[in-house]
Amino acid sequence: MPLQISSSPHLKAKADTPFVMLQVVVALIPATAASIYFFRQRAVFLIAVCISVSLLTEHIIYRIRRKPSTLGDWSAVVTGLLLALTLPPATKWYAAILGTLFAILVGKHLFGGLGTNIFNPALIGRAFLMAAYPKMMTTFTEPFSVDTVTSATPLSLQKFSASLTPLKELFIGNVAGSLGETSALCIIAGGLYLLIRKIADWRIPLSLLGSVIIVSLIAQFLNQANASVLFHLLSGGLLLGTFFMATDPVTTPISQKGRYIFGAGCGVLIMVIRYFSGLPEGVMYSILFFNSLTPLINRYTPRHPFGR
Amino acid sequence: MVVIEEHKHPQHNIKSQKFDNPDKLYLPVSQHTGKPASVCMEKGAEVEEGQLIARQNGYISACIHAPKGSKVTDITPWYHPNFGRMESLVLKCTKESKSYKTRSNVGGLYPEELLDIIQKKGIVGMGGAAFPTHVKLKPPKNIDTLIINGCECEPYLSADYRLMKENLKEICKGVELICRIVKPKKVIFALEDNKSDVAKKINLFSSIKKFNIPGLETTVLKSTYPQGGEKQLIFSTTRRKISGDKLPLDVGCIVQNVATCFAVYEAVYLDKPLIERMVSFCGDALEEPKNIWVRIGTTLQELFEKKILSFAGEPKKIISGGPMMGVTLDCLNYPVLKGTGGFLFLNRDAKNYEEQPCIKCGRCVDVCPMNLMPLMYAKMVKHEEFGRLNEFYIKDCIECGCCAYICPSRIPLVHYVKTGKKYAVADK
Ligand code: SF4
Ligand code: SF4
Repeated sequence: MPLQISSSPHLKAKADTPFVMLQVVVALIPATAASIYFFRQRAVFLIAVCISVSLLTEHIIYRIRRKPSTLGDWSAVVTGLLLALTLPPATKWYAAILGTLFAILVGKHLFGGLGTNIFNPALIGRAFLMAAYPKMMTTFTEPFSVDTVTSATPLSLQKFSASLTPLKELFIGNVAGSLGETSALCIIAGGLYLLIRKIADWRIPLSLLGSVIIVSLIAQFLNQANASVLFHLLSGGLLLGTFFMATDPVTTPISQKGRYIFGAGCGVLIMVIRYFSGLPEGVMYSILFFNSLTPLINRYTPRHPFGR
Repeated sequence: MVVIEEHKHPQHNIKSQKFDNPDKLYLPVSQHTGKPASVCMEKGAEVEEGQLIARQNGYISACIHAPKGSKVTDITPWYHPNFGRMESLVLKCTKESKSYKTRSNVGGLYPEELLDIIQKKGIVGMGGAAFPTHVKLKPPKNIDTLIINGCECEPYLSADYRLMKENLKEICKGVELICRIVKPKKVIFALEDNKSDVAKKINLFSSIKKFNIPGLETTVLKSTYPQGGEKQLIFSTTRRKISGDKLPLDVGCIVQNVATCFAVYEAVYLDKPLIERMVSFCGDALEEPKNIWVRIGTTLQELFEKKILSFAGEPKKIISGGPMMGVTLDCLNYPVLKGTGGFLFLNRDAKNYEEQPCIKCGRCVDVCPMNLMPLMYAKMVKHEEFGRLNEFYIKDCIECGCCAYICPSRIPLVHYVKTGKKYAVADK
């Protein structure tokens, strides 16, 4: 009778890392569906390119590093899909490939692979593309009219020509923007799924959106001409970033206190960029910036031992 | 704290059995926290049931008695779940079980006499740690609250629950005796909400003043793990917090497990040493999970040979204790000890997990009942940064296993903690 010898505990919760990552993919289904609905074959094409390049790169890296492949853990799929959803519909195929390569190689594996990366890989990929192809990454098209008419996003319209997009269109997603960032409805549905299944911690979305609300309320109070709270909540990459990037366990603080700080800080920085900088949107930079602060936040927010 | 599937059905609803005619008994000299007892019988000696066979050795130690009338056939190292091998007395049982008569003058005994009986009868905490009870009941500080632990928060196990269902009056008499020794102002009977039937009965006792227990009340707590851990239990019932380096008595509390109260009752009323206990045998590798009264020293081997237990398929893992804190065994030669609450036999439910990289999700931190940062221990032990372990209060860890239970990357955090503790001690 060969018996297993192992350390306690002998029971484990069902949710393991592949399960957690798979749930993120599941939660992204509505946003993905919306992107395909609004941007048609462009969306299908870019998503397929990003995911397959991501998986392939990861596979080759594991081969080279002679480590057991963790392709089955879905994390490469999450990275590829998330990156695709942040791309403008008219992104060229070579840019999509380069961005994904950069996300996986530099964003993830240069730092040591799953769990040790400091920055969110998808955002690193996107930041790279922003630097390499600034024009392409800021050229947006109207839904359903891909490859033809270029158009400004609601945030740029509001910022540079003071024209407000109707909230209903923002909520549904029928506006110009990155593939998966336009439909607030679908992103919120997926985000709530993550929170309800306890895959993501609610503290970061709460504090992030909370601080966005507070800052935009103050801004509106100071100057009536500023866009409304709802406009800020529903536009740009805020919701996708909040629910799917700022909740990435690897690159955000460990303790609950730290997560509040991370969320609140991100929210404020996003609004500062939206109001005071030359850029229409600041979600990506804010999250990346706070990713870099995460080790510091961790150091100053350890959990206080019971009774001490 | 975590909520875990209970797995207590159906054995917790089945009346306990008794097995009191083993052929052989194996009694390790250390079944308690503290110094091992010293053997006071020669090889070949004939002993009566209840006769002292190994004497208490030092202040924190406990006596060991013969569970049956028998002959000492050997004194040799034998299987011990915590120490691998440990010097043990081997008894060959020769006589029928003894019957015990009730002592008549219990009411007239002084607290010192009660303590003396508890000490002489080798009573130890039966919830797992097996700390000698006479030491615990003689605290150097004032105690105002006595907490009776009937939580049994480990999944699968239901021996304490069966004991409370079947012997609640005796348990309460034991509590009465303990009250006479420590004189608390308040006695809290703590149960989990899956045992509210017991709570009702105790409330009834308390309302008709059936027992002379001062300030008796019940607290029904949520069934979470580790609700029955001393520090968690004291916090849940009294809101007093005890840090890792302090003891319950530092906040004026003593916690006693229900089975220990029952053993105190038997020692004082029946003059019976701790030679028998209720043990849960459970898990999906058993034909029929159940709770059995067995003599201390009975081996698993014998229980299977005598068809008291039978396997349903090949077991993959055998655990002494509960699934969260128990230790795995490599064969059936291990005996029941004073502190053994149960054995677990797993077949389908025994899984091998592969450690994945930590994704820093913080789940382990969120669930740790001592508010520690378990992921740090794993990292530091792997990088051999033992010096920093104490900075993160590794010694506060009660090894409850919540962190490793919840970790999505299947990191054996408790294993790292145990390794880390060894080096952290060596470091100081
Ligand atoms: S639960 Fe596991 S994966 Fe998550 S932070 Fe703790 S050790 Fe790391
Ligand atoms: S660190 Fe220790 S006390 Fe905390 S959950 Fe893990 S085993 Fe339990």
